[in-house]
Amino acid sequence: MKQKIGVYICHCGGNISDYVDVDKVKDVLAKEDGVYVSKTTIFACADSNQKEMVADIKANELDAVVVASCSPKLHQITFQAVTERAGLNKYNYVHANIREQVSWPHSDNKIGATEKAIQIVRSSVAKVRLSQAIEPIEIDTQQAVLVLGAGIAGMKAAISLAKMGTQVYLAEREHFIGGRIAHWDVLCGTEETGKELVTRLYTDVIANKNITLYTGAEMVSSGGSKGNFNVQLKLKPRYVADVCDDKENIKKAIEVCPVEVPDEFNFGITKRKAIYHNFPSEYPQAAVINMDDCTRCGECEKVCDKIDLSQKEETVEVKVGSVLVATGFDSYTPGEGEFGYQAIDNVITLSQYKRLLAISNGELKWNGKKIENVAYIYCVGSRQVEGENKYCSRYCCTATINTALRSNDKFKNLNHFHFTRGMRTYGKQEVFYHEASKQGHVFFQSYGDDPTKVENKNGKTIVKINDILTNRKELEVEADLVVLVTGMVPRAHNTIGDILKIPKGRDKFYNEIHMKLRPVETVIDGVTIAGACQGPKNIVESINSALSASIKSYSFVSSDKLSVEPIVAKIDENLCQYCDACTTACPFDAISKVKSGSKDVALINHTVCKGCGMCLPVCPTNAIQLITFSDDEVENMINVLANEL
Amino acid sequence: MPNIEKKSFDALVVGGGIAGVESAINIANNGLKVLLVEKDLTIGGKMIMLSKVFPTLDCSACITTPKISEVDRHPNVTIMTNTEVLHIDKQDKHYFKAQIKEKARYVDVSNCTGCQLCEDACPVVVPDQYQYGMVGRKAAYIPFNIASPRVASIDIENCSLCGACEKACPTQCIDFTQEDKEYEIVVKSVVIATGFNLFDPLKIPRYSYGSAKNVITSMEMERHLAPTRPYNHVLRPGDGKMPDNIAYVLCTGSRDMTVGNPICSQICCMYSIKQAQLLMGALPMADVTIYYINIRSFGKGFEEFYEQAKGMGINFVKGKIGQIDELENGDLKVRYEDINQGKLVESKHDLVVLSVGAMANEDPKTMFKADTWKQDEFAFAQQKDLFYTPSLSSIDGVFLAGTTSGPMDIPDTILSSGAASMEAIRYIKQAKVEI
Repeated sequence: MKQKIGVYICHCGGNISDYVDVDKVKDVLAKEDGVYVSKTTIFACADSNQKEMVADIKANELDAVVVASCSPKLHQITFQAVTERAGLNKYNYVHANIREQVSWPHSDNKIGATEKAIQIVRSSVAKVRLSQAIEPIEIDTQQAVLVLGAGIAGMKAAISLAKMGTQVYLAEREHFIGGRIAHWDVLCGTEETGKELVTRLYTDVIANKNITLYTGAEMVSSGGSKGNFNVQLKLKPRYVADVCDDKENIKKAIEVCPVEVPDEFNFGITKRKAIYHNFPSEYPQAAVINMDDCTRCGECEKVCDKIDLSQKEETVEVKVGSVLVATGFDSYTPGEGEFGYQAIDNVITLSQYKRLLAISNGELKWNGKKIENVAYIYCVGSRQVEGENKYCSRYCCTATINTALRSNDKFKNLNHFHFTRGMRTYGKQEVFYHEASKQGHVFFQSYGDDPTKVENKNGKTIVKINDILTNRKELEVEADLVVLVTGMVPRAHNTIGDILKIPKGRDKFYNEIHMKLRPVETVIDGVTIAGACQGPKNIVESINSALSASIKSYSFVSSDKLSVEPIVAKIDENLCQYCDACTTACPFDAISKVKSGSKDVALINHTVCKGCGMCLPVCPTNAIQLITFSDDEVENMINVLANEL
Repeated sequence: MPNIEKKSFDALVVGGGIAGVESAINIANNGLKVLLVEKDLTIGGKMIMLSKVFPTLDCSACITTPKISEVDRHPNVTIMTNTEVLHIDKQDKHYFKAQIKEKARYVDVSNCTGCQLCEDACPVVVPDQYQYGMVGRKAAYIPFNIASPRVASIDIENCSLCGACEKACPTQCIDFTQEDKEYEIVVKSVVIATGFNLFDPLKIPRYSYGSAKNVITSMEMERHLAPTRPYNHVLRPGDGKMPDNIAYVLCTGSRDMTVGNPICSQICCMYSIKQAQLLMGALPMADVTIYYINIRSFGKGFEEFYEQAKGMGINFVKGKIGQIDELENGDLKVRYEDINQGKLVESKHDLVVLSVGAMANEDPKTMFKADTWKQDEFAFAQQKDLFYTPSLSSIDGVFLAGTTSGPMDIPDTILSSGAASMEAIRYIKQAKVEI
């Protein structure tokens, strides 16, 4: 039982003290049983005030501490550290939230807010009175990282981790690495093509002995937690020998394949065979057979002995200390008839248009017809008034301007008509917008609730807008090609997020711990997120986020030992009659059945247990206690809250 | 000459704003020794001065202080405030020599308890630069309540040398004999995190900043709204009246060739929308109008935040302000082209906030040998390999964190600092020479 408790009530510079009478809280708490010191402070978190608190704890020889301030999400760790620096165990500290739970929601009722604050702080004192000193649990860690996704973000993260001496497993679901950027021609602001950038990255990946690359690899399950993840990867066979120097015969094999399907690399505007590769220099430099398309006619085997239809799916297990997720995004697929998509034959997406520009030579044609007027329709699938995606996809304004500007390098006489919702070429990207305006591109802007329309009139494709920039005049352009600027959406195929239990935000992208200051960490310890899987990003932003995520992942694997929170469930073997209820209730598979003497009891794996408490209420014999949240501690808190002052 | 043995570090981080602090923590967490140099009296940069941050509306001081206190007590980080970097010279081998100058504070920092008795005793009052001149401070002063280090300093330019502070100080730490000190240090890598400058609105005389009393900058409004605000209310500076019809002028100094800055500052739309939302809370009866060219709410959660602002009744008008004139009662006549109506319009407001842009801070140019430090056409640091290593400057081993390389918001600054520190760590670990 703690008898010299210190209570510090924070003004939060007015955030709390404008609505809560902090002096009254201080005076009431000073009379509480066991409270030795009760004080207020303007900004408890400010470094100078932390130093004062440390000195105060030492000078008064306090044995436990409560700080009443903001959410424990912000500052519990801060004040636990204060307690430790003052020579106490950090579990002799309890955090009372009187900002998010009191001053902010009750700013209209100062008297009520003050009463509620008093009760919350008193209940925290009731808890800290029973607090025990406990030590963190130390675990052995796997000094390796699994990077999921070998687009630019994943590759950059893998390279930087490998250069730090970390063992890296880089797993790519597709058979070829490079992700989205491999598709693109000259990138905005440089003379480098997407293909060249990807080539630079994979050259580094292949050259680094610390990186093990898996292609056609999908995560199927994951067990364990930070420091020790066991991940199963399913490897799809490519049915062609990995080391394939027989380029001539592979070429023949592709020629003789009778199957033709839409080519995903060109977003369906061309066809490929069932045996294919995207472009000759990409990595791995081998073809692949897509068995969903293959008719197993055997023609390719006759001309090329590198083909091996007997290859089987394999599973590998990797043991890592951290998982870095860089799985990217999907492009929004417009609905049928959305801005004429799939209803009018010269309506395509920006991705398709970029590939069309890349593969066309001489004249730019679509369906055999020469293109002169190109109409770009912005915010397709982004900033939707009616629809799921309320957010802005960030990269598309600049990507479209860059594509339009670059298309003039290759094709003359193109006229560009931009149907925007307000240009968002933020930062230095503004100069490309300026350049396009100078070159005579025509910009329109529609109202959010009055979108641009695409119509087919007598075989002609007409784009119509009520234009803000010309005082809501209705304007029309006859377009030879309509390009839908589709935004970024979260991956539809999202087994990884489900397996690792990564939370998602309102926009359904993966959620970070804190949007401002911790953008690459997740609430799942040991799992970091990089690139566009966290939200739309351009290349530079993705690379920066990849490096940031790698530095955070590295912190989990840089040493062979890790400390984990000792807030875990504990079994009283005398009371336990192993009934299986806790094992079933545990969401982390942390509880197993073991023999103790003559009887079966439950055993909790403390490195896997998260201290969530799910097992506690289901135990029929009340044999489980949660450390730092024991029945006594919680009942003490409830007693205070239930009793009037 | 200080002992070189004790003056060598793995990394020199220049700038103690959020970018420099984040970089220093990242590098130091990997067991490497960091020297963090800040020219101001306190670390924390611009972020610690802000009211709340968009779109989470977290109190900015509250989320900055944990970082500040983490870096402050990190065993691998040495912090020098009130210190300028004079030169950084790359040596033939894998290291840099830097000349730094610690300016005299006239206070023995190790003995100052931050009791503020010197402040009480000092008879000199000058405008407080940390509150953007809205209130006064003494010549002997602590920058602000949550400054780090929270110690006094004597503003010698304004000091009358009366000696009152010396008499008042209970620990005798005021020392007028202090002199600037120069040190030579040796480091293996450098992170430049010198941040940005706010656009100076005096460059646009049409906006009457400086002459019309009720035209203020967005940073001044941040101070009006911050938890440590000087008046505890939003008051217009001309006459102390609570404003009830406030205008925001977006793109002040950005996207404006008349002041030679063609680029967008990336943050102004969002901080203006944030301030407008906070004003709706602080002054529930006030009208807030935002005049814009384009609203650029492009980041995570930003578009939703913009929609929320519209829902709260904030008035968005598409049109760039041409001219602002002061009326007799201190109100302001604002002239603009209303794009929706397609004509020139005049409107009246009782407070105008200029949403000033983010301009390059060219300090690093003077630190490096001519021609080695390169800038882009907007005077931001050149990024030598934009896509492959965005944080690499024109000098191998010198990395760029935060707004040194261009305008960015706080999350992008954190990502960029993460990248710069990861590259710096890798560079340091590859260093062959022992220093």
